[in-house]
Amino acid sequence: MRSSPRAEPRGRGEGKPRKGLPLIFWRPSRRREEWVAALGFLAIGLVLIGFFVIWPSIRTLWLSLFDADGFAGVRNFARLFGDREIVDLGRFLRREPPWGALLHNLVWVCVHLPFTVGLGLVLAVVFSKIRSWWVGIARGAIYLGIVTPLIVGGVIIRFLFDKHAGMAPQILGALGAPVPWSAGWTAYPETALLALVIGSIWLWTGFSMVLHSAGLSTIDRELYEAAQIDGASELAQFRYITLPLLRPVTLVVAAMTFLWELKIFDIVYVATMGGPGGASNVLALEMYFSAFRELDPYRASAIATLITLFSLPVGYWFARRRLRR
Amino acid sequence: MRSWWRVLGVLLGVSVLFVGAWAEKLIVIGPWSGAEADPFVAVLDAFKAKTGIDYEYRTMRAEDLSKVLPAQFGAGMAPGDVIFMWGWWIAKFADHMADLSDVIADVPFAYTTPLVVDGRTVGVPYVVFVKPGFWYRKSFFAAHDLRPPTSWPDFVSLLKRIKAIPGIEDAAASGDGVGWPLSDTTEHFILAYGGVNTFLGLIDGTIKWESPEVRAVFEKYLVPYLDYASEPIEWTSALDLWWEGKYGIYFMGNWITGMVDDPSDLGVFALPGAKAVTGGPDIFFVPKYSKNLEAAKKLAAFLMSKEGQERRAAGGGKLVVRADVSPTAYPPAERALMKALEGFTLVPDMDDTIGGEWQAAFWDQLKLLWVKPEALDDVLRVLDEKFPKG
Repeated sequence: MRSSPRAEPRGRGEGKPRKGLPLIFWRPSRRREEWVAALGFLAIGLVLIGFFVIWPSIRTLWLSLFDADGFAGVRNFARLFGDREIVDLGRFLRREPPWGALLHNLVWVCVHLPFTVGLGLVLAVVFSKIRSWWVGIARGAIYLGIVTPLIVGGVIIRFLFDKHAGMAPQILGALGAPVPWSAGWTAYPETALLALVIGSIWLWTGFSMVLHSAGLSTIDRELYEAAQIDGASELAQFRYITLPLLRPVTLVVAAMTFLWELKIFDIVYVATMGGPGGASNVLALEMYFSAFRELDPYRASAIATLITLFSLPVGYWFARRRLRR
Repeated sequence: MRSWWRVLGVLLGVSVLFVGAWAEKLIVIGPWSGAEADPFVAVLDAFKAKTGIDYEYRTMRAEDLSKVLPAQFGAGMAPGDVIFMWGWWIAKFADHMADLSDVIADVPFAYTTPLVVDGRTVGVPYVVFVKPGFWYRKSFFAAHDLRPPTSWPDFVSLLKRIKAIPGIEDAAASGDGVGWPLSDTTEHFILAYGGVNTFLGLIDGTIKWESPEVRAVFEKYLVPYLDYASEPIEWTSALDLWWEGKYGIYFMGNWITGMVDDPSDLGVFALPGAKAVTGGPDIFFVPKYSKNLEAAKKLAAFLMSKEGQERRAAGGGKLVVRADVSPTAYPPAERALMKALEGFTLVPDMDDTIGGEWQAAFWDQLKLLWVKPEALDDVLRVLDEKFPKG
């Protein structure tokens, strides 16, 4: 019986031409052939990624270590953390925003992340249990947020919270709510950031809902039937079957949402331009202002590097998780 | 035989496409769209009819161009052949602009002068906008027996009377875009109650925003005015609401004469005591990377010719920069405006002149001040902090 090529022993130096033999007798190992084939397929992609992602990233990191006077080390980063536009701990939660772009991003994470992930999960579960004609429409309406370009989303948010055209101020005004709740939310520092976060919950919940719905469809129905026979309530089934089995999906949604929140730009740019008075500014917008308004590539690069550094742990976890699978 | 015809058809189609691609076609980029762009497009049409050179007009705000142009310039490219942009920005990127000295050599400029850097004319003012003051509808004022004010107490009394009219939301509408309508209003207050020297001192940085004379303008005049002004509303929406009668007066530049249904119903007054008003040019440049440099220069020459300027004047909404264009070339609303501006000094728009990060900060801080007048100290401090160093 012939052994398969995989079973052939691979000695040290295999794949290299043996000493004393002409080059024509050298045959690359199968493993090497696989690598070459893989590289062949990946070459174009790798060149593009190298050119458009890796090289600009390295240049950005490099630029962040300089300023107009030359090499600056980590001085740009130190300046950022001393800058009220990035972090204003003196005002944070004591007075209305601005609290600094970094803390505004943190607010996005603290408010937007749990709402989006939680709401998407709840909606996916509820819709999976209801058999009615309107479920498809409701699903479509929620999913519309994720297919809406974020620039358009920003315009929608602006009008949603506008004093004259906006639903939220009109309803709250009719209920007797004071200014700024009954006025244009994006115009007031107390409500501008909140308006953006609430508006973007709709824009992003569709993503969470769709992924959770897909996850739900993979759960074996027999588990629920067994639980029902054992007398488990709906809540118990959710707590002990749905939630644990959807955990991998929920973690992916949370990770993606976190990354999205760190680089949020379009919505803020269109709806408030970071204002009023910087009350809804975020890191990516501050980076934009530094690059294209101040024409200061060094500060902009430092902010970009900062955003990357915050994203790295989640990105690393995400990549490791996928590799492990 | 049929297949031969098909091949011939395809070849013909490809040739037409190639000829189309190679034909001289100028890309003109400006900030105007809709009704605001119509008078300019009419001039471009006249240029096309006269020279046979085709054009494509694209709307792009200076804000958006500022993101695109540096990278394109870096690659030796440009998205258009004639581009309208901020003056301060053109001066900063002057190395990338074609020299238009020959094109405008014979143009008798009024109101403004070309942008010259190192002896090269890199930016050409095409039209001038003015921010003459508060606009009102003559019919609205007549219906409520209101008159333009002649003193500050008179102005406050006017605001009170308008606010008391049933159906009125606020006496004055406040436009918002990225923030510039608020900066225009603020500049008008500084000119009226701080004076031209204070205004110019703020531009060149010799006077601080936290100085007593500037603070006084804010505390005594602008902040009390805010009691009667609406919160910032997107400026074209604010224009509609004001025209519908939700607001009594609206501070805006002269371009609104081309944006309302009945320009003859427009009246305008400056703040009592004002001796100067702000204005500024819409400046264009020709990038030296233009693929149709000579044709672009021809267009530049036409835009600045007496014929081109008279055609633009006829469209209304802006004042042209050639001194030899007769007032009769303008529509009645502009003629009335020119008459109203007699005796006023025209000073440059502050935020457009300073530009950069400060401009964005100015707009943003005023948005804050409009809804939180008690934040005045913070606003003035930030404006000093953000002022360009050196």
